[in-house]
Amino acid sequence: MMGLFQSRRNRFVYPGAEIRSSTGGSPARLDGENHRIVEMGRTRLMVAACLFGLAFTVIGGRLVELMALGEPGEPPVATLADEPLETRMARADIVDRDGLVLATNLPTVHLYADTRAIPEKDRLRAIGLLPTLFPELTTEELNNKLVPGKAFVNLRYNLTPIEQQAVNDLGIPGLNFERAERRVYPAGRLVAHVVGATDVDGNGIAGLEKAFDARLTGEDIPLRLSLDLRVQHVAHRALSDSIDHFKAVGGTALVMDVNTAEVLALVSLPDYEPEKIGSTGEDARFNQATLGVFEMGSTFKLFNSALGLENGMQLTDSFDARHPIQIGGFTIHDFHAKGTWLTLPEILQYSSNIGSARLATTVGTEKQRAFLERLGLLDPVPFELPEVGRPLVPNPWREINTMTIAYGHGLAVTPLQTITAVSALVNGGLLRPPTLLRRAPRDIPPGKQVISAENSGKMRALMRLVVESGSGRNADVKGYYVGGKTGSADKLSKVGGYSNTAVRTSFIAVFPMTDPKYVVLVMLDDPKAVPGTSNLRTAGWNATPTAGRIVAEIAPILGVAPQEEDPTVAFDAQVIQQVGLRSLEPLEGPALATR
Amino acid sequence: MMLGNEFTSARLRRGEMTLGEKLWQVSWSLVLVIMVVAAIGLGMLYSAANGSWDPWASRQATRFAVGIALMLTVALTDIRFWMRYAYVFYGIMLVLLVAVEIKGTIGMGAQRWIDLGIFQLQPSELMKLALVLALARYFHGADLEDVRRLSFLVPPIFLVLVPFGLVLRQPDLGTALMLAAGSGAIAWLVGVRLWIFALLLGGGLAAIPVAWQFLHGYQKNRVLTFLNPERDPLGAGYHILQSKIALGSGGMFGKGFMAGTQAHLNFLPEKQTDFIFTMMAEEFGMVGGLVLLSLYVILVIYGFAITFRCRHQFGRLVAMGVTMTFFLYVFINIAMVMGLIPVVGVPLPLISYGGTAMLTLLLGFGLLLCVFVHRDIQMGRRGSYDD
Repeated sequence: MMGLFQSRRNRFVYPGAEIRSSTGGSPARLDGENHRIVEMGRTRLMVAACLFGLAFTVIGGRLVELMALGEPGEPPVATLADEPLETRMARADIVDRDGLVLATNLPTVHLYADTRAIPEKDRLRAIGLLPTLFPELTTEELNNKLVPGKAFVNLRYNLTPIEQQAVNDLGIPGLNFERAERRVYPAGRLVAHVVGATDVDGNGIAGLEKAFDARLTGEDIPLRLSLDLRVQHVAHRALSDSIDHFKAVGGTALVMDVNTAEVLALVSLPDYEPEKIGSTGEDARFNQATLGVFEMGSTFKLFNSALGLENGMQLTDSFDARHPIQIGGFTIHDFHAKGTWLTLPEILQYSSNIGSARLATTVGTEKQRAFLERLGLLDPVPFELPEVGRPLVPNPWREINTMTIAYGHGLAVTPLQTITAVSALVNGGLLRPPTLLRRAPRDIPPGKQVISAENSGKMRALMRLVVESGSGRNADVKGYYVGGKTGSADKLSKVGGYSNTAVRTSFIAVFPMTDPKYVVLVMLDDPKAVPGTSNLRTAGWNATPTAGRIVAEIAPILGVAPQEEDPTVAFDAQVIQQVGLRSLEPLEGPALATR
Repeated sequence: MMLGNEFTSARLRRGEMTLGEKLWQVSWSLVLVIMVVAAIGLGMLYSAANGSWDPWASRQATRFAVGIALMLTVALTDIRFWMRYAYVFYGIMLVLLVAVEIKGTIGMGAQRWIDLGIFQLQPSELMKLALVLALARYFHGADLEDVRRLSFLVPPIFLVLVPFGLVLRQPDLGTALMLAAGSGAIAWLVGVRLWIFALLLGGGLAAIPVAWQFLHGYQKNRVLTFLNPERDPLGAGYHILQSKIALGSGGMFGKGFMAGTQAHLNFLPEKQTDFIFTMMAEEFGMVGGLVLLSLYVILVIYGFAITFRCRHQFGRLVAMGVTMTFFLYVFINIAMVMGLIPVVGVPLPLISYGGTAMLTLLLGFGLLLCVFVHRDIQMGRRGSYDD
């Protein structure tokens, strides 16, 4: 024990000495079998020490470089405030095809408070007086917001000059104005679903404002749309009148130039005030024309007829529609059952589900699918709006799907792609991508030939037949030789399956059938039977007359002159005879576009 | 007392030391250096709060006191205890890491913390020590032939890869790289052959383009910003530009205690944690920065010396692993604030505000001291005396 104490005294060391490698005697002895590994370990330890030393030298050197030698050159400074307000905030206008302004900017001011600069008695005065100028600011709210020591308290957006003067007249220091710009929409809700809206900071959040956000902030040239504000107005008014009259919950209306695929009108109701999009419900913000996908019902029989013609069928071919079809525990009925064999034109004229299904199964599933794909009905349509819906396509595509799709059930598409495909059926067979931007003649895409020009002619005759002596009679407008097709589809029920009580009705109208220029689509969501509709709520009684009204009102605006209704100028005698079109009916009196 | 050195006595080789003897053996000069650095840290936290003990300095002082006590406890514990339970600690930390993955607290965009009631623990920090212990235990009994057998290297690779992957997922690139580098240091010391290092390093470099795809947006931004900080002076490049401005404005002798304008006017972000070195250098200048750097170098030298002096492989490996971890803290943090490497969230050891890192470091120094106290113990392949 003594020795231990002695050696402890001997070993009293100055700081650090205890870790020196030799504090007396030999360095640490190497233990037998670990001899080699320890030797190697020591070499490697020295290498590691050198690396550490190098690393410390590097950071020490960097420290000296940064602190003693200094960085050459000035550090860059972010510049934001240098630009004048006008160039920073300018957002390009949006105009319709004739240059009418749909969206523009107004200079405005926002009111904010710098409570550090407000003396206490003025603060209380501000809390008392501001509600008298702006009733929506409550005393309670101001009490919470106007606490001392805050540099920026937002009080109210978009003051009018009179309001600004009134605030100035209060003479309260610390109530300041921020210069700003405000996006205004002169056409208001009329173009809501097309133009969209911006948020309070001027960023596009819906519609074209969102899709072209970069373009609108980057260039000063107005964005010119294909939309015609006059046509848009007609469509909007006709549709909202119909919704009121038939007590529908909503609807959509589209007008398209069949030869350029430019959209002239796009209405989806309910809609919203673009300047108040923040307080708008989801239903109103939902664009049914481009984002909603629906089973289109019998309007799909147009595509079915074209499918037959493209696959070598003749107008005189007939199909067995005597009995309902039983398939997989499901029965296909006809709404106006004829109980006979029907020719291809008769299937359309009487809107026969059974005949359509027979036609489709004759052609075959694969060809049907390929044809609908070629018409762009199975993929999202390329379009400028951010709100574009994806079709609901059956998978797998069985025979039963082939049958139901023949008459527009079991495949849900957007109204926009329906109207685009119908344009191709009647314009000589050329499918072009739809657009909301005005197309100069040289910019019109050549289009994709989806059906032959000859079959396109037959489709025109068939569509005329439906209006002349089928379910589309209520859309006829004397002098414009309207053609079209009705569609009524049971709505999907909230509890699953189809609803027995609610329908979605639509009508597609093209005019004039002799040389198609424009196509109109009207769709009503859940119209009711009202006096004058024979207690029916099918498309022929509501969507069809609405489309007819739109045709009658826009044709003069668009410069389509009424003509004698003479099929012989467009169709050869055999087609007229096979389809069963009526021949020349002289116009009575002056050429008036009335129904 | 014919033996020249009491530590060559059989009794001490068996490790039969009394508590008093152990206390005498603790390297108090190392403890002193640690305290000096921590005192500088407390001063900086006092300054960061504009001359107030709250909210940082007082809490950090408490943590340091607790940490020092833990450190000495670890130092005086028999090293064979640490050896015996090395895998157990590793296992516990692994479980905690998985727990963090499942139900950890998310802070600043990453899931790194676990709430233990009294405080929030960051298991990835303590994993650095647990991994060092586990690897040291694994390699303790290995001879050179073992180490040169590839199959022998498979288990340790998994020991490293599992926590590495878990930490990377949090995501915490800095800690994951520290785990890998600390393990690499141990592998280096046990004599893993050079071509394996070359292979891993080459593989790592080759994986960079692939890994780039998996980096988070903020991580990509940091690297791009590192390559050109002026790219986005108000966004991702803000930290590093402000840090360099503060350093440059410090000059030779600094602006004086509590007088650093960049830090005190809040231009410098995270001044109490990751960027505290910048604030110190701004207030005490290049001289102050170099003094602190020297203190760190001294601590690393202690680590090397203890590694060198230790007679058993386990202690040597633990000491090297701890030293490497400590060195990485210092190097990554200082190199980061000076713009030498991309921004990674690694604190400045013993100075930055933060509990788990302080605890990890002091426990690490505890292990280092423990190795020193027990440097002459004979340890068999399995850690018992009489193997």
